[in-house]
Amino acid sequence: MPVQTAPDERVEAAEQAAVADPWVTIVWNDPVNLMSYVTYVFETYFGHPHEKAEKLMRQVHEEGRAVVSSGSLEGMEVDVQAMHGFGLWATLQRSGV
Amino acid sequence: MRAFTEKHGAFVARLDASEREVVAALVADVAQLLGAPRFDEAGPAAAPEGPLLRTERIPPPQDPAVRRLLPDASQDDPDVAAEFRRLTEDDLRARKVARLGVMWTLLTTPGDGRRQDLLTVAPQDAPEVAAALTDLRLVLAERLDVRTDHDAEQLYDVLSDEAEGQDVDVRRYLVSLYGALSWLQESLVGLMLEHARRGGASGRSAHEG
Repeated sequence: MPVQTAPDERVEAAEQAAVADPWVTIVWNDPVNLMSYVTYVFETYFGHPHEKAEKLMRQVHEEGRAVVSSGSLEGMEVDVQAMHGFGLWATLQRSGV
Repeated sequence: MRAFTEKHGAFVARLDASEREVVAALVADVAQLLGAPRFDEAGPAAAPEGPLLRTERIPPPQDPAVRRLLPDASQDDPDVAAEFRRLTEDDLRARKVARLGVMWTLLTTPGDGRRQDLLTVAPQDAPEVAAALTDLRLVLAERLDVRTDHDAEQLYDVLSDEAEGQDVDVRRYLVSLYGALSWLQESLVGLMLEHARRGGASGRSAHEG
């Protein structure tokens, strides 16, 4: 049985999550970009340790896409533009969609 | 052609005169696709013209290769994609053309003295060169109809099959060029990763602004 919480609290929690990170940046797999290059981008642009960068790269390669960052619309526009600058195919969308 | 290796703190590859000419021609073609005047006529400083601030939305590029260089920023929301394009496309075009210009200059400037085939890239310029190589490969892949990982794996089969004809010859030429640029980029990115992991990495903040 799930623990019952008052409806107000659940709504409030959902709203807080939505306010915290309403948008995400997604990087899509493509047949051109080298795995090493994608790892390099995740490591240097997002500042991930290389294990995490490689794991994200593998997720893109094997699952076809990965969420690489989350935040405000403006913040995601900066990240998507940077990804396009690197030649990666990235999109932004509302989180939880 | 020899892949990039690290020498005296720089990344150095070797391309002879004819290899330079072939790659430089592709660099000029891709810059032209992005709206720049021909580098071989106007020089690499020429930038595509665009207004300082766009107030009207612009349609996505018709040419699929250009659209791959300047992709849609949303798959499910045309409004988000259109607004993103209005805000960012001119900058992105200009940035891509500028680094193709850097690459053009590298390719058309011979190495010193007896080592004219040396192509020397300073570590701080390497990300721009690697990104320019990506754009060249994206355009070639689009022209070669590479859409999936499977297409990419099958790409080199044409080099060893028996088929003859002008179309096949053109395809072999483009596939060979794509293969050479992939190999060159792989060697460069390997060195960039080593360099970044030794402590030369820059975080997200360095790319902003």
